[in-house]
Amino acid sequence: MKERKHRIWLPTLLILCAGIVLFVLNLIVGSVTIPLKECCSVLVGEGEETWRTIILDYRLTQAVTALLAGIGLSVSGLLMQTLFRNPLADPSILGISSGASLGVALVVLLTGHLSGMAVSTLPGWSTIGVTLAAFAGAFLVLLLILALSSRLKSMVSLILVGIMIAYIAGSVTDVLKFFSQKEDVHTFVIWGFGSFSNVGKSQLLYLAATILSGTVCAFLLSKSLNLLLLGERYAENLGLNLRRANLLTILVSGFLMAVITAFCGPIAFIGLAVPHLARFTYHTSNHFMLTPATAVIGMDLALLCNLIARLPGFDGNLPINSVTALIGAPIVIYVIFHRQKVLSR
Amino acid sequence: MKEILRTIGLSIGYKGQALFPAIDVTLHEGEHVALIGANGSGKTTLFKTLTGSLKPISGQIELCGKPLESYSPNERAKLFSLVLTEKPDDLFLKVFDIVASGRYPHSGLMARLRDEDYEMIQAKLQVTGVSHLIDRDFVSLSDGEKQKVMIAKALVQDTPIIYMDEPTAFLDYPSKVELMRLIARLAEEEHKTILYSSHDLELLMKHSEKLWVVAKDKPLVAGKPKEVEQNIGDYLKIKNLEIRV
Repeated sequence: MKERKHRIWLPTLLILCAGIVLFVLNLIVGSVTIPLKECCSVLVGEGEETWRTIILDYRLTQAVTALLAGIGLSVSGLLMQTLFRNPLADPSILGISSGASLGVALVVLLTGHLSGMAVSTLPGWSTIGVTLAAFAGAFLVLLLILALSSRLKSMVSLILVGIMIAYIAGSVTDVLKFFSQKEDVHTFVIWGFGSFSNVGKSQLLYLAATILSGTVCAFLLSKSLNLLLLGERYAENLGLNLRRANLLTILVSGFLMAVITAFCGPIAFIGLAVPHLARFTYHTSNHFMLTPATAVIGMDLALLCNLIARLPGFDGNLPINSVTALIGAPIVIYVIFHRQKVLSR
Repeated sequence: MKEILRTIGLSIGYKGQALFPAIDVTLHEGEHVALIGANGSGKTTLFKTLTGSLKPISGQIELCGKPLESYSPNERAKLFSLVLTEKPDDLFLKVFDIVASGRYPHSGLMARLRDEDYEMIQAKLQVTGVSHLIDRDFVSLSDGEKQKVMIAKALVQDTPIIYMDEPTAFLDYPSKVELMRLIARLAEEEHKTILYSSHDLELLMKHSEKLWVVAKDKPLVAGKPKEVEQNIGDYLKIKNLEIRV
């Protein structure tokens, strides 16, 4: 028992320390490197004006956005993997991010087509329009999935329906792209790269409130999720209302995904890879442990990805999705080989 | 002895098509009954009906004197537990976590385990003889060990009835015998009412107390192995069934 506790506290301590270090590095490193001492004085409310602007107006907001998105994406992915009892499920599996893409495409591309000029070049154009469009698209797909899920008997059918919805949304998006202005397509493509820097200071509070409440809801589902892991028949025999549990899981996961995609664009691989990192680190699948573990590791990984994307020499910002894929894909490959090894024992 | 389960004119099947004539049977406390029949004869359908996941075509199931439908899902979870042929396959599931899930119907939203729950988990793992496996990954166990862990889960669930779907399938011969003895012991010492299906005819003839024999379109026959010997041969289409005791 004592040994077990030891195995929990040591990694937790390391993960939290790494989180703090990564967070501070996110504030220091960038196209301009700010000395640690200066950074600290800015954080306590002093320091030079230029440093203040860079850190408080840009880097701090971006780092907090990355941290929150990392938590939300990872927890959302964990819920999907447990719901489908499939290690390769990720938050985009239900087509929610494709719905968001379609929403953005409609606003960015279609308006440009109708009015005959590139909307994205208009001075009044802001990220808020994109955010709202993505939000609407994601939520429409989420509602559609929720409505269909109660009619579908098996979870495999639900995955297939989700993938088909993603295809439909994708094809409509492509058609829109085909008929659009160059500049608008460019805006859309950039959005698709994903970014943690589109969230304004004033929106940060909303992002934090929604993601943290979604994460708390996910934690409250832990008992149901543990039961789902045993298989549907055992879960039902242990008193679980399957339909309700499935619905709530989709709702919470989809909600997190919708919010994050709206604010940061479709960000891949974090939601897929982090739950595995959490399982390997704590060697557990008990969601009372796994959900918080996934949240903190997701926070670290997103901060790491954001840091790499902003390293000096990359001239500002690398697309965040290329960084998450670069880090996430090897993790997933490792997981696949590990499964094969364990299952063939 | 206390009556635990009674079926009244119970007709089961899919889409209104009854598998066999209506069943009127009872199970008492501490009784263990083996359900035998060829594949597709309706054993699984019967289990599904008894657990409420499939509606009967007609008739009623009474548990502890009340109809099955009158119990809520959580009340059902405290009345009967399941041991199935399909097993959890998550790589990181611990034996402890699986057995602890048996306490879930008795706990709140946070599934907090009390000291008594921990003691019970230990004790029931002891009963099925796998307490040394408590910290192991479930997927790393042998089929026999997995079966005993799932039975420990059912015991921890603390239900008067345990339904087991082919608990001896996939086991080697000594493990099959051991499991049959365990079932008899649980009925006697833990006062469980156990209904289990099996294809191991020879073992059942030796170790079972009572049999329910089913076949398509034929009435269910219940009785001691000796009494239903003739029916088994008939129902399962086995010629010259020889039983060596």
